[in-house]
Amino acid sequence: MICVKDLVKTYKGGAVKVLKGISLDICDGEFVVITGASGSGKSTLMNVLSGLEKPDSGSIVYDGDNISEMNEQQLTVFRRKKVGFIFQHYYLLSNLNVIQNVKMGADLTGNKDYNEIIEKVGLTAKCKNRISELSGGEQQRVSIARALAKKPNYLFLDEPTGALDESTGRNVLDYIVRLQRENGFTMILVTHNLNIAEMADTVIKMNSGEICVRYKNTTKKSAYEIGW
Amino acid sequence: MIVGIKDVFKLVGVIIVVFCAIFVCTFFLNFYIDAKSLELVLNDEELLALHRAQMATAKFTCAISGGVLMLIALVMLVFYIKLYIDSHAKQLGILKAMGYTEREIALRFSVFGISVFFGCAAGFGCGFAIMPLIYSQMSNGLPEITIGFHPSVLVLFVILPTLIFSAFACVYAFFALRSPANELLRGKPEKLSKKPLKVSEKERGFLKEMCIKTLSSKKSLAFFVAFACFCFAAMIQMAVSMYKLSTKTMGIIIFAIGAVLAVTSILMAITSLVNGNSKNIAIMKAYGYSTKECALAVLRGYHFFALLGFAVGTVYQYVLLSVMINIVFKDVGAVPEYSFNVSVFFITLAVFIVFYEAVMLLYSFRINKISLKQVMEEN
Ligand SMILES: Nc1ncnc2c1ncn2[C@@H]1O[C@H](COP(=O)(O)OP(=O)(O)OP(=O)(O)O)[C@@H](O)[C@H]1O
Ligand SMILES: [Mg+2]
Repeated sequence: MICVKDLVKTYKGGAVKVLKGISLDICDGEFVVITGASGSGKSTLMNVLSGLEKPDSGSIVYDGDNISEMNEQQLTVFRRKKVGFIFQHYYLLSNLNVIQNVKMGADLTGNKDYNEIIEKVGLTAKCKNRISELSGGEQQRVSIARALAKKPNYLFLDEPTGALDESTGRNVLDYIVRLQRENGFTMILVTHNLNIAEMADTVIKMNSGEICVRYKNTTKKSAYEIGW
Repeated sequence: MIVGIKDVFKLVGVIIVVFCAIFVCTFFLNFYIDAKSLELVLNDEELLALHRAQMATAKFTCAISGGVLMLIALVMLVFYIKLYIDSHAKQLGILKAMGYTEREIALRFSVFGISVFFGCAAGFGCGFAIMPLIYSQMSNGLPEITIGFHPSVLVLFVILPTLIFSAFACVYAFFALRSPANELLRGKPEKLSKKPLKVSEKERGFLKEMCIKTLSSKKSLAFFVAFACFCFAAMIQMAVSMYKLSTKTMGIIIFAIGAVLAVTSILMAITSLVNGNSKNIAIMKAYGYSTKECALAVLRGYHFFALLGFAVGTVYQYVLLSVMINIVFKDVGAVPEYSFNVSVFFITLAVFIVFYEAVMLLYSFRINKISLKQVMEEN
């Protein structure tokens, strides 16, 4: 359970207000989709929620632990144990190959079955390639495999299918959702593709640093049923 | 945009090494020129032998230390240019893609000659400043020698190195920039190794692989780490021997140069190592790797080279001193006693370990400060 209360985040010494008092609760195993215009603060919210950045004020409580009060060291331990992140700009280790990048996530939780994940995102043939030798969409899939290989309790996905074509996008999304159902992790996904919102339990729409709409889907669609 | 005046001082390593080289060479060569004429006026056999020994020492030290140090400065320069091209590969690739030629870009690298000029000029000045002290220490019963200013020394030690280094920088940059724009933008394609993976290789953990990869992609840094530790071991042990065998000033000068060289090259090597990997470190930290793990992944591969440098340096100084004493002093009646100093060796080793660990600790603080946000903002 994640309880977020009155979250405020500013930059440039308070001049740029990016998050203006966000409150929300996310249950364990829930699939939340966040949408909203470019620049509305979605990535910033993800960074703060996952403990990558500290909020100016407000609290983020994970099962009773308030991460906004943790120091850097405690946050590192928290991220190591609990969080997986698929970054909007991938952030891969560009001088290493695909397997090595996936291993970076897998090693943290001692997961040895990362080869299956590489296969499922369709990268087995390229697993020895260095990141700089991959296309944008392939890099995005490495970033997805790395996060999944970590077997996180909370998975943050920032535009995870933005660089993928329809068929690859559907396959990957379907795989992620299936894994979620099997392992029961909590998933928070940012996307501009409103169709993907139909797959979620809860949909949140952001507008200039605030939550403007929030609703629950009565029926969830699968990755192959939604439009693209 | 490419290589400007502001980059001149990034070559601190080169500046310092050049400074040391020119500093030593200036006062020894100047002394050599000024004292050479003594040969004609000396008629005492013993004094003449002492004089010859001094001349030989001056020549020997000037050639060996000057030559070796300049060579190292050159290697450092190459390394800096390579590093510069690697870290600016994207911009350089874009320039080439837009149609700038290698020659136009390479010429800008001549700016690095200015760094060399600063080092040379400072070394030359300091060499002259310390000359009265050296001359008085060297006199040792010989007639007094007056310090002369020789323009040829100035040309040889200030103008010439500046020109040679500038030209060298351009030529090297020209060849380094010849890879196609696309390669600069996306990185060199890696040669596929045909060898099947060994089992141990498959089971290697991520940190170990990262460590091996860092080492293999930054091999030149292994050289500098080894060199730093070589200097540390060789020059400090030699300084102690010199302090006893020769003059105190010589001992102190060698000690200072050794310490400066060791500190500069190790700081330079590890700074570029950490800077070159800061993005990787930031990503690892975002994923939950601790500072210590990041530091080990990046730096651990170099420990072996540090020890290797130390060992080679110890042997080197022993051999060099033995040879020098036999050659230089063979004409002089009393050959000074020289043997390997075990206690100095262990003290140097202990200081070395403390020094090395301190450097590692310093860089853990630096790694601690790297955050993903910083990397994100650079994009
Ligand atoms: N370090 C920073 N300094 C100043 N402003 C920042 C900083 N980081 C983000 N911002 C601002 O915060 C706002 C929200 O950024 P954020 O990346 O969260 O948007 P987003 O909703 O993810 O947009 P997109 O859909 O384009 O990815 C933007 O207007 C951005 O300019
Ligand atoms: Mg974003």
